[in-house]
Amino acid sequence: MRRIAIRSLLFDRGKLIASLLGVALASTLGFVQVGLYRGFERSSSAVIDHVGGDLWAMPTGLEVIDYAQIVSVGPRNLLLSHPCVADVRAVLYGFALLQLASGQRSTALVVAVEPRAQWQIPWDVVVGDAADLDQPLRVSVDRTDLKKLELPQSAIGKNFEINSRQVTVAAMTEGIRSFTLSPYVFTSMTNARRLLGVGENEAMYYVIDLADKHCGPQLAAWMKRQPDIQLLESGVWSRKTEDYWVGGSGAGAALLFTAILGLFVGGVIVGQTLYSMTKEHLLELATLKALGARPWELARFVLWLVAFLAAAGVISGFSAALALKQVLLSAGLTVVVSPGTVGLSVLGTLLMCLMASITSLMTVYKVEAATVLR
Amino acid sequence: MIEPHILVKASGLTKTYWMGHVQTTVLRDVSLELRAGELALLMGPSGSGKTTLLCVLSGMLRPSAGDVELCGVPITRLAEKHAAEVRRENLGFIFQTYNLFPALTALDNVAEVLALKGMPLQAAQQRATEALTGVGMGDRLNHRPGELSGGERQRVAIARAMAGNPALVLGDEPTAALDRKTGLDVVRLLRDQVNERRGVLLVTHDIRLAQFADRVIEIDDGQIVADGAAHAFSSHDGSFAT
Repeated sequence: MRRIAIRSLLFDRGKLIASLLGVALASTLGFVQVGLYRGFERSSSAVIDHVGGDLWAMPTGLEVIDYAQIVSVGPRNLLLSHPCVADVRAVLYGFALLQLASGQRSTALVVAVEPRAQWQIPWDVVVGDAADLDQPLRVSVDRTDLKKLELPQSAIGKNFEINSRQVTVAAMTEGIRSFTLSPYVFTSMTNARRLLGVGENEAMYYVIDLADKHCGPQLAAWMKRQPDIQLLESGVWSRKTEDYWVGGSGAGAALLFTAILGLFVGGVIVGQTLYSMTKEHLLELATLKALGARPWELARFVLWLVAFLAAAGVISGFSAALALKQVLLSAGLTVVVSPGTVGLSVLGTLLMCLMASITSLMTVYKVEAATVLR
Repeated sequence: MIEPHILVKASGLTKTYWMGHVQTTVLRDVSLELRAGELALLMGPSGSGKTTLLCVLSGMLRPSAGDVELCGVPITRLAEKHAAEVRRENLGFIFQTYNLFPALTALDNVAEVLALKGMPLQAAQQRATEALTGVGMGDRLNHRPGELSGGERQRVAIARAMAGNPALVLGDEPTAALDRKTGLDVVRLLRDQVNERRGVLLVTHDIRLAQFADRVIEIDDGQIVADGAAHAFSSHDGSFAT
């Protein structure tokens, strides 16, 4: 039945092209929307994920990394006194006023983390050297933010103003964008304290590396003596930030809606094609039934059509999504192509095709052998 | 003399339909037997019940009353899937409109049906080639139905019906869409397929086909009104000599 189905589909070029376009469109939309969704999630929690650590200490009630508040050195000292704690790193993270050459005012997110060999902050440096950030008021900016910062493509050595201080670009990263649309400005702890006006004994977050990964709950219980400080696992903190921005802003729902709409449109096109092909071959299928084919054998005619279209859709959608990924990256949008996003998109395409085949399957299943003699 | 074995034994067949509140009786107490080695024609005017009888005899329709034994199996009492098994094993069909898959070559149209019946593809193609060669289509194996004439398509359909080596071949107006000469060629071909283990029953309006038949069964208003040897049937006025 596989050969009958595939050859019938390939034989009718018009229907083949129409259905391939439909399934490819839906599949591409699925890949891109899911990739964008994951891209938004990743960009909103990128700093948390790259700073790493086992736990983050922060003011109680904080919902998202971007609304950082100053914490004194007290909790840090307390944490370091606990035997479970191997290391504590301070994180400076905060909005600062951006004064651009054109006179326009905006905000930037200044980020600095106490350096450790295994955690490279900033990451994905493509021009310059992150080690240069230790020099006075040297910063790293992202390539996709150059326009926003009114900087040229060769921005190394160029200046702009943060909180009334001239900073100089010493390094550039690729693809590190904030969900808040404010450009990330990475620098050293010393520079960040100057730019954000944070004292020597202060930080926004303390990132904890545990000596024993299992004693997180014990440490959290012990830290209850500081009710104004909460400890969150890195993964939980990352997810919380993602949920706040992508879920809370409605961006996730918009992406999901577009993806569903794409799958719906694709499903209608595929469904129409399948039904039309099934109706066209109903007499031949009824003939096979008259000759003794079982209903499920006839259903395989539709299922093979669906399988072919789904496979073609997944391949074309994936290829198109890879091409669009580059285009969208230049527009500052990250499309994540990972096993997870690919799996979800493939599943969506398969479900779409299966849903689209229901009417055809029912038609084939119910076809009466006696039809051929009427 | 050994009696040829009975392929179909129908007794007391009645088929009624409800069209809204109106009951229509299409078959009325029909009984008949078909034997191997026989080419029988089922004739009658439009609406006389020929096609319904064919459907009931092949197990595709359940009669309202009466029984059918197909190759020794009482199919009227079988579930659809078991009736399909009996058809798969014992029946071949030929239709007025050929019902070939347009995307498949002549070879594949025959081979795929054999594959569907469980034959390995290579063996199915071998058998299909033999069947097509047997009906004079050996040089058209790789042509699609759209590239064949009506007569050639019907030959492919006959090869498809015969390739599974069925005991009984049922034809529904197999010559209706063909010109006179081609139609007669096709029936001649069907005549050649009849042997001591196989019978053919054709529904037709064409009384000229009687010259190739062993038996003619006439049906009118759902009843068999005549059943006799074909040589006694007059192809001039469509009646049996008395």
